[in-house]
Amino acid sequence: MTGLQNAKPVDNPDEYRNVFVFLETRGGKLQRSALEMIGVGREIARKVNEKLVCLILGKEVSEMAKEAVEYGCDIVLGAESPDLADFRTLPYSTIVADWVAKEKPNIFLIPATRNGRDLASRIAVRCQAGVTADCTELDIEPDTRILMANRPTYGESMLAEILCKKHRPQMATARPGIFKIPEKSPAEKPEIRISSIKVDKSLTGKKIVEFRKKEKIDLTSAKIIVSGGLGLGKKENFQMLEELAREIGGQVGASRPTADLGWISRDHQVGQTGQTVRPRLYIAAGISGKIQHIMGMKNSENIIAINTDPNAEIIKYSDYVINADVNVAIPRLLEEIRKYRKEHAAETVVP
Amino acid sequence: MSLEIVVMVKQVPDSQEVVIDPVTMNLNRSLTRNVTNRADENALEAALQLRDKVGGRVTIVSMGPPQTESTMIECMARGADRAILVSDRFFGGADTYPTGLTVASAISKLEKFDVIFAGEESSDSSTGHVGPGVAEFLGIEQATYVSKVDYEDGLIIAERELEDGTEVVKVPTPVLITVLLNANIPRRQTLRRKIDAIRRGIEVWNLEKLGMPPEWVGVRGSPTIVRKMRSIKEKERAAKKIELDQIPELVKELYEKGILKLEESQ
Ligand SMILES: Cc1cc2nc3c(=O)[nH]c(=O)nc-3n(C[C@H](O)[C@H](O)[C@H](O)COP(=O)(O)OP(=O)(O)OC[C@H]3O[C@@H](n4cnc5c(N)ncnc54)[C@H](O)[C@@H]3O)c2cc1C
Ligand SMILES: Nc1ncnc2c1ncn2[C@@H]1O[C@H](COP(=O)(O)O)[C@@H](O)[C@H]1O
Repeated sequence: MTGLQNAKPVDNPDEYRNVFVFLETRGGKLQRSALEMIGVGREIARKVNEKLVCLILGKEVSEMAKEAVEYGCDIVLGAESPDLADFRTLPYSTIVADWVAKEKPNIFLIPATRNGRDLASRIAVRCQAGVTADCTELDIEPDTRILMANRPTYGESMLAEILCKKHRPQMATARPGIFKIPEKSPAEKPEIRISSIKVDKSLTGKKIVEFRKKEKIDLTSAKIIVSGGLGLGKKENFQMLEELAREIGGQVGASRPTADLGWISRDHQVGQTGQTVRPRLYIAAGISGKIQHIMGMKNSENIIAINTDPNAEIIKYSDYVINADVNVAIPRLLEEIRKYRKEHAAETVVP
Repeated sequence: MSLEIVVMVKQVPDSQEVVIDPVTMNLNRSLTRNVTNRADENALEAALQLRDKVGGRVTIVSMGPPQTESTMIECMARGADRAILVSDRFFGGADTYPTGLTVASAISKLEKFDVIFAGEESSDSSTGHVGPGVAEFLGIEQATYVSKVDYEDGLIIAERELEDGTEVVKVPTPVLITVLLNANIPRRQTLRRKIDAIRRGIEVWNLEKLGMPPEWVGVRGSPTIVRKMRSIKEKERAAKKIELDQIPELVKELYEKGILKLEESQ
């Protein structure tokens, strides 16, 4: 416990070395955010010739540790206990803070997922250090080894570069879905240090009594997304998008108000409060392009907007614009795609 | 049974009206209207529902400049029992660390606290770090991103909404809970309560009352600094116009460029 203490600058920042990343797990498996953390952590560590240290907590972690090493993690710190099977604030933050105190990392990155933020804010206070939330760009100044943590602000219109010069570790949480999953590239002399831990009873007062898994539609790894907004006019029109998505091997996405209205389930929502996606093709049908939606899809490789309003905001984010009614444009698109596929069917390799 | 409930509330610029000074890149506060952070209204409503069920008292705590009073009165007009505004020129420019420290310090001065509510995040700094930070300073349990709260047999039961599902937790008090935006429908202010709140007024606490050194709080107590701001340069996109009768050419182009692939179909 920290008590009412101020943030404490350290006198010897040079003693702090290496890049810590916290890896999220569920059911004994590394989550996507864990791989994203390894990717960005590895890049930063390599730039200053330091080690990437991955933290994994769970019931059993050795398989996950091996996977982390395959992705380039130099050192794995693992903690095992039945009490660590699922993320819980107090046991996790206590163990992680102990590691930080012992190992003195220069940088500590945590995913800005819900449990990640839950953890990061406690660790920052416990270490009497600073943390920059929800970063979309992370880099290091090679000579000073200062972390340049960039986060969007003012409704995503500006990027603020935030430094924490005097406190260690320099902490940041990284927005999920922004950092690329790295190619596998095993560490040369990996070191795996796993210990079994007895978790103090005073830390396990919070019990998880139930977990209702969401049948999740994972849009973050979709190659093609056909997304609908209020411009669809009615719930039934999502069927049209489903049909198109099936034909081109895509998934269906949605703007928030369509989910609010119950036209489609929340799992399909793209944007600030939905998923952040970066498919090869994003089709925005009847979506105006408000910033909260744009945030979640602007990194798509190609964007097609279908909108009756020639001045809709989505247009400036689009590669192609079909200025027409979705009820006309979508069936036309589907028809032409079917025609094209039929004419070129012979080219398809049959497995 | 009677619970001492605290709600952490922040006044924020109305995001619809944010004006950025083109020279300094700072928020032009003189042109923005101030409102109560929306998620904090949901936190307040969750607190009031808990009080109405179990009994007890709801105290609002906010750190902010004097104009935050309007937010405090609004919260009382919705049903809060007591309001403490922690305000001092030393608190200005605080990042999440000293903000949490200041709010936690104020809460620690209360005789007792059982449940502390905060919003999931504030609309202007959107870190979601201040709530859990306060829990760490006070050394108590937390449940974040909560959509539903109940209380049975001395335990808080909270539903946390995570990316991959809903986690139901049971926690003993004292506990800090962060409430999701739109988790509930905040009750309205009543005129009677509003008049009463204005008549009673709010309590204002300064740094001296908290008894902390000035260099612990505000900008001096903040580990992080903003080095620079730049506008986010979006990738330039062609916005090529496609008429309805050009859709066949569009389809051809998409396949030829490999944006669509013949083998990708379900
Ligand atoms: C805190 C917060 C978080 C938010 N998070 C999200 C989020 O995660 N995701 C999200 O999407 N939104 C989010 N929003 C909401 C966001 O601000 C917008 O309200 C929303 O994105 C608008 O959805 P829309 O484009 O479907 O609807 P509208 O803005 O109503 O746009 C409908 C569009 O359809 C066009 N149209 C109408 N009829 C037709 C037709 N027949 N054919 C073709 N086009 C037609 C119109 O010209 C218009 O451009 C959030 C808001 C807040 C305050
Ligand atoms: N200055 C403040 N005074 C009181 N509560 C605050 C303050 N800043 C943040 N909070 C609380 O912490 C939550 C998260 O804010 P933030 O960490 O800024 O995203 C808010 O929803 C409030 O409940």
